[in-house]
Amino acid sequence: HKPISGVSSGCQQGGCLTCSDYNGCLSCKPRFFMHLERIGMKQIGVCMTSCPPGFYGTRSPERNTCTKCRSECDSCFNKNFCTHCRAGFYLHLGKCQENCPEGMVRSDAQRECIL
Amino acid sequence: SERPVLRAIIKVTLLKHEPTGKPLTLEGVFVGGSAGKAEGKLMQYHPLSLCNTSEDERQESDFITIVKLEHRVHHCLPLPDKARMALDKGAQAVIFDIRNDASAAAELQEVDSLPRPVVLVEDNNAKELMDLVNKNEEAKVVIEIKMEPKWPHYD
Repeated sequence: HKPISGVSSGCQQGGCLTCSDYNGCLSCKPRFFMHLERIGMKQIGVCMTSCPPGFYGTRSPERNTCTKCRSECDSCFNKNFCTHCRAGFYLHLGKCQENCPEGMVRSDAQRECIL
Repeated sequence: SERPVLRAIIKVTLLKHEPTGKPLTLEGVFVGGSAGKAEGKLMQYHPLSLCNTSEDERQESDFITIVKLEHRVHHCLPLPDKARMALDKGAQAVIFDIRNDASAAAELQEVDSLPRPVVLVEDNNAKELMDLVNKNEEAKVVIEIKMEPKWPHYD
């Protein structure tokens, strides 16, 4: 398979299926997630077995991708279920909120609402 | 009637050489009736990043998006929609390197009413820009309309 100029199918990264000199990975092998990594002014595709912190994995027939968690979450299962909050936010039932429900208090150590 | 093709002058100055650095002058073609001036920091976007409006990084300063299109990457959206998405994400302008996507020009020439400049680059113009990106050399880009010389009127 002769690589088209600038697009080499023999990718160095383990999970890459096709890649290009400028864009990095263009597609991933099955079960890998495509993560778009920002490095200064560059943004390249990287194929990973699991998404980095601050992102969650979404599988689809066409492509598995890493998507950024909500801005107030440090880590999450998906768009609507956070597992750890950013500073100033407190976790309650998968949501990161600035205040806790009545009867609960904010734990700065765990960034969670606790009884 | 066929819309005149307006060419773009793209002046690129490395931030580390500012303000005295002599700009690199390249050329491109405006599409979608979007000819106009724009200025900002050059920022590469992967073709797959313009597929959905997921909550991703917001750039602080004015920036100009450059995308190297790849015909091997399934267009998750029509190119005009990708251009609009890039502009919606805050880009002052969008530059598409179409060296590896022969059908891109035709798809984008038909478009109307793009709110800010969208420019296609090829050949050495594209290579110079993408080589800068590859070396992660932060650069400021100014896009202007290329003034074609007015031929004197002969009777």
